[in-house]
Amino acid sequence: MLDWLILVPLAAIILLNLPWSDFIRRRAAVLAALLAAAQAAMVVAAPSEWVSRASILAQTLHLHLAMTGLSRVMLLCIGLAMMAAACVTQVMFSDDFRRRANFVSLLLVSLLGMNGAVLVTDLFSLYVFIEVTSISSFVLIAFTLEKKSLEGAIKYLILSAVATVLMLGSLALLLLMAGTMDFAGIKEALASSNGALVAKLAIGGFVCGLLIKGGLVPFHGWVLGAYSASPAPASVLLAGIVTKVCGIYAMIRLATSVFPPNAAVNQVLMLLGAVSIVVGAVLALRQTDMKRLLAYSSISQVGYIVLGLGCGTPLAWAGAIFHLFNHTVFKSLLFVNSAAVERRTGTTDMSRLGQLGSAMPLTNLTSVLAALSTAGIPPLAGFWSKLLIILALWQAGVKQGQAMYFVYAAVAVLFSVVTLGYLLSLQRKVFFGKTPENLELLGAAKPSGWISTPELILAAVTLAAGLLAPLLLLTGSFLVPTGSF
Amino acid sequence: MNEMMLLLPILIPVAGALLVLLAGRSSHSARFGLTVLAAAATLAVAVLLFPQANNATGITFSHAWASPMFSFELRLYSLSAWILVAAAAFALLVTLYSWHYMAGRPHGMLFCLYLLLTLAMVCGAMLANHLVVLLFFWEGLLLTMLGMIAIGRPGAWKTAFKAFVIVGISDLCMTGGIVITGLLAHTLRISDIDHLATTGLGGLGMALLIIGATAKAGSMPFHSWIPDAATDAPLPFMALLPASIEKLVGIYFLARISLDMYQMSRESWLSMMMMVVGAVTIILAVAMALVQKNYKRLLSYHAISQVGYMILGVGTGLPAGIVGGLFHMVNNALYKSCLFMTGGAVEKQTGTSDLNELGGLGSKMPLTFLCFIVAAASISGFPLTNGFYSKELLYAGALDRGLIFYLAAVVGTFLTSASFLKLGHAAFLGKRNSRHDAVREVPFSMLLPMVLIAAVCLLFGPGNALAVDHLIRPSLSAAAAGEHHLGGLLPHNWLLAELAAGAVLLAILNHLAGWRRYGSGLHAVDHIHHAPVLSFMYDSAAKGWFDPYIIGRHIVRVVAWIGWGMDRVVDWFSDGFWVRTAQFGGWALATAHRGRYALYVLWCLAGAAAVIGFLIRAM
Repeated sequence: MLDWLILVPLAAIILLNLPWSDFIRRRAAVLAALLAAAQAAMVVAAPSEWVSRASILAQTLHLHLAMTGLSRVMLLCIGLAMMAAACVTQVMFSDDFRRRANFVSLLLVSLLGMNGAVLVTDLFSLYVFIEVTSISSFVLIAFTLEKKSLEGAIKYLILSAVATVLMLGSLALLLLMAGTMDFAGIKEALASSNGALVAKLAIGGFVCGLLIKGGLVPFHGWVLGAYSASPAPASVLLAGIVTKVCGIYAMIRLATSVFPPNAAVNQVLMLLGAVSIVVGAVLALRQTDMKRLLAYSSISQVGYIVLGLGCGTPLAWAGAIFHLFNHTVFKSLLFVNSAAVERRTGTTDMSRLGQLGSAMPLTNLTSVLAALSTAGIPPLAGFWSKLLIILALWQAGVKQGQAMYFVYAAVAVLFSVVTLGYLLSLQRKVFFGKTPENLELLGAAKPSGWISTPELILAAVTLAAGLLAPLLLLTGSFLVPTGSF
Repeated sequence: MNEMMLLLPILIPVAGALLVLLAGRSSHSARFGLTVLAAAATLAVAVLLFPQANNATGITFSHAWASPMFSFELRLYSLSAWILVAAAAFALLVTLYSWHYMAGRPHGMLFCLYLLLTLAMVCGAMLANHLVVLLFFWEGLLLTMLGMIAIGRPGAWKTAFKAFVIVGISDLCMTGGIVITGLLAHTLRISDIDHLATTGLGGLGMALLIIGATAKAGSMPFHSWIPDAATDAPLPFMALLPASIEKLVGIYFLARISLDMYQMSRESWLSMMMMVVGAVTIILAVAMALVQKNYKRLLSYHAISQVGYMILGVGTGLPAGIVGGLFHMVNNALYKSCLFMTGGAVEKQTGTSDLNELGGLGSKMPLTFLCFIVAAASISGFPLTNGFYSKELLYAGALDRGLIFYLAAVVGTFLTSASFLKLGHAAFLGKRNSRHDAVREVPFSMLLPMVLIAAVCLLFGPGNALAVDHLIRPSLSAAAAGEHHLGGLLPHNWLLAELAAGAVLLAILNHLAGWRRYGSGLHAVDHIHHAPVLSFMYDSAAKGWFDPYIIGRHIVRVVAWIGWGMDRVVDWFSDGFWVRTAQFGGWALATAHRGRYALYVLWCLAGAAAVIGFLIRAM
C-alpha cells in the first residue's frame, strides 16, 4: 500500500501528459491539491494498515519501503505544503491552462520524489529520490524564464552539483565498506569499522551534501535565489518542504538509524545550527523584500531544527521533528500570504506596500498567526517546539556539564526575539502602516478561494497544533515523538 | 438557634443594602426609611444577643465551609457584645440624622448602600473568631470607606484614593501580622490564640497587627486622609466612621491583640511603642486642630488626637489605662459623633463650615448649641463630664508609666479645651454674619440623634460606674480589669483631678486673654499659632511636609526616577548597543551576499573541508 504514495503521483504525471487529456489538464491543480490533501488526511487517519500489504515495488524493483513515525510526520508535511502549492498554482497561472498543467506535472514529480525519499530503506534510493526532487525544483524555480529566476535556478544547480559529488563519493565509499546500501547493513558496517578513515570520510561527505541541500550556513548560497526568485507556488513548496525533506529529513534518518551515536557529528550540527540561526536572522532583519526576508527566515528556522537534532537527546529530537512540522506549516503559510500580496499588488517590495490589512483581512490575520508561531509565542505551535529544543539543550548542558549547551540555548532564546522583530516589522510594513502613494491594488484580482483555503487550513493547523501540543506531548503522538523512532 | 442568630447582624444590613439596590430610583424617604429599618433591626438583634453573650465564653457559630484552616467562625462574648450594641446604635442614629441631611444631595442610594454594608462589615469584624474572616470584613470596611468618601463633593475621589492607599498599606501590614500570628499559634481561631510571646518574630507579628488596628482607628502616622475626608466626604460618613465606628473596631481589636492574643508585658518595647505613638498622636494632632479655620477639619484633627489617648491607655498595660482607654473609646464615639452632627447641622442650615463666615448662631440654633456645649465640655474633660472621668483613669495609668506621658496627656487636654473654646466662640457666639439672619434650628430628625447622644454623654459623667464597672471591667480578664472599682462620682486621686481641672481652667483663661488681645473668638489662639518656632512648624504642616502620604509620594517619585534612569541604561543596551551591533553584522553579512556564484561555491567547499577535517580528527 505504501507503493501508492509513489505510484499514484506517477500515474497522475502520466495522465497529465497524455496527448488527449486537456480535460484533466484544465483541472490539473485541483487534482494535485486533492491528491496532496488525501495524502495528508490518510496519513493522519490510518497508516498502520498500509505496511502490511504486499508491495509491488519490492517485488519488481526490489525497492523496499517502510513507514516509521518520522516518515509519517514527513508525509503529513509533504501533503500540507503540496496542497498549498497546488492551490496557489491555480490562481498564479490562471490564463494558460497548459502552462499550469506543466507546472503541476513538475509539482507532482517533486511529490513523487519526496514521498519516495521519506519511505525508502536504503541509502542509494534515498539519494535517487532526493535528486528527483532537486531536479524538479530546478525547473520549478526557472519556470517563468525570467532572468532572476534562471539565475536562482542555476545557483541551486551548481551548489547541488557540489552536493551530488560529495554524496555520490561517500556512497561509493560506503558501498565499498558495507557491500550493501541497506540502512541496517551500513549501520552494522560503520559500527564495526573502528574509526577507519574511509568511514569518517564517507560520513563527513554525506553530511556535507545534506547540509548543502538543507541550506545551512555556510552552504546557504543558493537559498535566497531559489526561494525569492521562483514563482510563488514553487516558493511555497521549496521553503515549506523540499529542502526539509532533502536535507533535514535525510539527516535525521541518518542520525537516528544509520550512523552510530556520534558526538563529533552532533557538535558540527549544533554549531552550524546556531550559526544559521544567527546569520539567517540578522540578514532577515535587513531585507526590504517580503520573499527575501522569508527566505533568510527559513535559514534561521532550519537552524533551530538542526540545533535540536545535534543536541542528540530523545527530547531534542522530538522538539526538532515537531519544529520541522511547525516550520512547514507556518513557512508555507507565510509564503502563501506573500503570494496573495504579490497577486493583489504585483510586488513583494515592502517599501512600496502598506496598510493591506483592511483590503486583505484574512491574509492579515493568518500572517499574524504565522509570524507569532514562528517567533515562538505561546500558545501557538512554534512555541512548544522551540521550548522542547531549548529545554533539551538545557538538560543536556546540566547533564554533561558543558557550557556550550547553555550558550546554544541562550542563542535560541535570544533569536526568537529577533525573529519576532523582523516578522513584526514585515507585518507592520505590509499590513499596517500607511498606504504609499504609488501603490495601486489590482482591481481585477479579487480575493480567491484558492488563496484563502490554504491560508485557513494552515492557520488552523498551526493554531490547533499549538493548543493541542500538551496533549500531543502527553500521548506521545507521532508529531512529537518523545518515545522511540 | 442562638448560634444562627449571630449571622443576623451581618445578614440584616446586607439584605437591607440589597433592597436599597433593588428599589433603585425610589423616593428619598422610602430609601432612608428602609435603611433606618435595617439599622434598627440590627440594633434590636444586637440588644437581644447582649444578655446571652455577656459572659466570658459567649456564643459561637461555626461553619466548616473549607479546610479547617479557613472555617467560618463567629463568636460573641462579653467584650464584643456591648461594642456591637454601641456600633449598631451609632449606625442607627447616623442613619436617622442623614435622612434629612442627605435630602437634596446626590448619591442618596449609594450612601444608603455603603452605610448598610459598612454596618454589616463592622458587625462581621466584631463577631469574627477567625483571623481570615476578620480580614475579610476588615477589607470590606476599606472598600465601603472608599465608596463613601468618593460620593462626596466633586473631586472627592482623590481623597478617597488617598485614604484607600493609606489604609490599604496598614491593612497589608495587618495581613502580614496575621500570617505571622498564624504561624506562631498554629491556628487562626482567635479564641485559641492565647498570649503568644512577644519576643523575636512574635514581636514583629504583634507590631504589624497593632499597626493594622491603630491605623483603622486613625492614629498617626496613618491619619492624613481624615482631615481631607472631613471636607470632601459627606458629613454623616465622618460622624459614622472616623468619629465612632472605626474607633470602636480599631480599639476593640487593639484590646484583643494586646490583652488576649499576645502576652504584652509592661517592659516590652511594644508597650513603649504604643505609648509613644499615642502621646505623639495626642500632641501633634491637637496642635493641628488648634489652628484650623474650618469647623469639620478642626473636628477631624480631634478625631485623630483622641485615638492617641486610647492607644496610650491600652499601651500602659495597667488596669487603669486599659479600662480608661476603652471608656475613652466609648466617650469619644459619643461626643465626637455628636460634634460632627452639630457641624453638619450648621453646614446644612448656613451652607458653609468655614469659621470665618460663621458666628452668632447660638441664638438661632439653641438646641444644636446646647448639644455642642455638652459634647465640647466632654471632649475637653470638663469636670463631671464623661471625658473628665475617662481621662482621669488615663492620667493615672500614664503617670504610673512615666511623667512624660502624663504631661503629653495633660497638654493635650489644655489644647483640646482651647480649640473647642475657639470653635464654639467662632461658630455660635460673637457677631453673626448678616447672611445668616434667617437661619433656623434643624428639624427633629437631625436633632434627635444629637440630643440622645448628648444625654448619654451626661449620663456617663456622674454615672460613669455604669459603664466602667458594669460593662467594661466585667468584659476584661481579671489581670486587665484590676481588683478595684474604677468608677464613681468622686475622683480616686484628687491631685490628678485638680490638675486636670486646672488644665481646663488654664485653657479658659488663655482663651479670654486671646479674645481680649485679638478681639475675636476665632483668633483667640493666634498667639500660639504665631509663636516663634511653632509658626514655622505650622507652615510646614500646611505645605504637607509632615503628611506621610505626600512624603510617600515623593519617595515613590524618587524611586521612579531611579527606575527611569536604570531603564535608560537598559534601553541603551537594547535600543542602541544591540541594534548597532545587529546593523553592523547585517551590513557585513549583506556585503558578503552579493550573488557571486564563485564565492558561494567557495564557501561551500571550505565549509565541507572544515567539517570533514573536523570529523576525521574528532571521530
